[in-house]
Amino acid sequence: MKNQINAGLLACALVLAPIAAHADTADGSSLIGKSWDEVVSLAKGGEVNWFLWGGSDNINQYVTEFIGGILKDDFDIKLNRVGLSDTVEAVNIVLGEKESGVLDKGSVDMIWINGENFRTMKQGGLAFCGYTETLPNNKLVDWSNPAIANDFGVPVEGCEVPWSKAQFAFAYDTARTNSPPKSIPEIIDWAKANPGKFTYPAPPDFNGSVFVRHVFYYAAGGVDNLLGDFDQAKYDEVAAKTWEILNDLEPSLWREGKTYPASISALEQLYANSEVDLTFNYEPAGVGLNIENGVFPPTTQGYGLTDGTIGNTNYTIIPFNSPNKAAAMVLQNVLLSGQAQYQKALPDVWGAAAAIDVSRTSDDIQAKFASLNPHPNVAPAAELAKAALPELQASWISAIEKGWQENVGN
Amino acid sequence: MVGKDSLGIRSFRFLTGSLLIIWLVLPLIPLAIWSFAKGWFFPDLLPTHWSMRAWEYAFSDTSGVIDSLWLTIGISLAATVLSILIGVPAGRALGLYNFRGKQLVELMILAPIIVPGIAVVLGIHSVFISFGLNNTVSGVILVHLIPTLPYMILVMSGVFSNYDPAYEAQARTLGASPLKTFWYVTLPSIMPGIIVGGLFAFLVSWSQYVLTLLIGGGRVVTLPLLLFNFATSGRNDITGAIGMIYILPGIIILLFTARHLSGRNGAVGSFGQI
Repeated sequence: MKNQINAGLLACALVLAPIAAHADTADGSSLIGKSWDEVVSLAKGGEVNWFLWGGSDNINQYVTEFIGGILKDDFDIKLNRVGLSDTVEAVNIVLGEKESGVLDKGSVDMIWINGENFRTMKQGGLAFCGYTETLPNNKLVDWSNPAIANDFGVPVEGCEVPWSKAQFAFAYDTARTNSPPKSIPEIIDWAKANPGKFTYPAPPDFNGSVFVRHVFYYAAGGVDNLLGDFDQAKYDEVAAKTWEILNDLEPSLWREGKTYPASISALEQLYANSEVDLTFNYEPAGVGLNIENGVFPPTTQGYGLTDGTIGNTNYTIIPFNSPNKAAAMVLQNVLLSGQAQYQKALPDVWGAAAAIDVSRTSDDIQAKFASLNPHPNVAPAAELAKAALPELQASWISAIEKGWQENVGN
Repeated sequence: MVGKDSLGIRSFRFLTGSLLIIWLVLPLIPLAIWSFAKGWFFPDLLPTHWSMRAWEYAFSDTSGVIDSLWLTIGISLAATVLSILIGVPAGRALGLYNFRGKQLVELMILAPIIVPGIAVVLGIHSVFISFGLNNTVSGVILVHLIPTLPYMILVMSGVFSNYDPAYEAQARTLGASPLKTFWYVTLPSIMPGIIVGGLFAFLVSWSQYVLTLLIGGGRVVTLPLLLFNFATSGRNDITGAIGMIYILPGIIILLFTARHLSGRNGAVGSFGQI
């Protein structure tokens, strides 16, 4: 059976081979340590298929027009942006290819990724690793920062490259609410005093899960005890308190907590239509874009919590079976450049915080970053960063999500 | 059958007809309004700000909607033609003849409707990879046949179960060649079934998401893929604009075939009677 499949694959490979006119750079190990000029010349004339969440026209335009334009004009590389509704779809393609023995003709050249999906890719041997030093712009990345060197507690170890940073922030409508609650205990009290005006998306929704983790941190009396590997005894103790808080809160939630919004966009719609008065998002810049795009009322204001909010770094990863690794590396290097990171930080483009250490860029880029005018309604990144909380390891996160479903969301 | 319907029946028919149209058209109105809105909040009856931005994005090169529209039309038409080519003989065999294992064959044909696609799609993916069909338009057309064929075959077997092959025999005794017999006798009498089955096949192929994403590997970007991106992210304006483009071919085809869907023709009437 295996032989038959292999024979079939060989046949396909022979049939497909003439299509690849440019250099096939599936063999990643041969690229590591090569001079950058060589990598660029191998990538020339090729293409790169980048799979990323496609639900924002602003991000799509930034990627296709700005980044795609640089790749076309400067490197003669065709960027094919593949929009996803959920990143796990791309991970499943790579996983399916590996199980079917497609080891060097994969269809995915790069994925925008972090957290659970990164853990799947790294532990499953689905990632191309160890090449990051080869990228010239890698020197702009501060790998000594644990928030960069670890992706949701999983060491990056050269298997992905940071692209952007995000930190959880809340938002309220100044026309409806005078003084919003500014910490987790305040939010709980506020929700009880204003029945039906607060809710959160049911985990495992990405954002709903982050909200539950904030309550988990609060129940634990701080995050310090939770860092590191999963600890069942500690989990049981904190989880019991967390479920008690959330179950106690449930009758005061939107629709008496009989149901929870299924996704962050459902919560945002509830907020936009005045059914609930608070919303939140892992991407704080989303408030600005949502106002400009008419999703949120213009009187919406983003803010952070006094007891801190959770932050993450998100990355781009190259699958082990990508046939266009050189082009993907060129793309990653462009994404890391000061110019591309600055463009991404412009409030009318995206407003996302830079993943590079801006102080390592040229004076010109530093001056540009200094002159950025953030969207007035977005919680300022510098202010959020003053009270930033780390993410837990993915094993903790999945335990909390499962526990919530069994104890609160049942 | 009945020459003149009574006034009561006629007004009842008018009422149910209008209700059905309202029920079908009403949900599309907010979609159309959203596509021109910049912000539309409860309790406003209409948006306060209007904008062409969603449509500009939908027609821009970045969104790829227009390329994807043509590609989706091509894929769905190809899947429809293949469904007809396979479905007509299969439906004839099931509708006219009894043979050993017929029930098993019927069950196998219905299986793709019974088993949820998401459960088997990863298995299908690895089969398509081993045949080298992934990431290609032809692979996507082929994989669309899995959900479209059951509908086509069901309709055609219904048509053939009410079909009298004696007409064909008569044409042959009068000297018509097999081809002429098919063209002048068989085809006209099964045409309503082909149109109805083809319509089903087209619309089923038109709305595939998971199969297209996985087998197409992101290289074959059909409209549902683009639409889902925005529908799941809460961008009602762009979802509205792409949605309006998305329903257009369905409506056009429905208009062309409406007279065959009146409910009085054999294909619809006998639907489901294998």
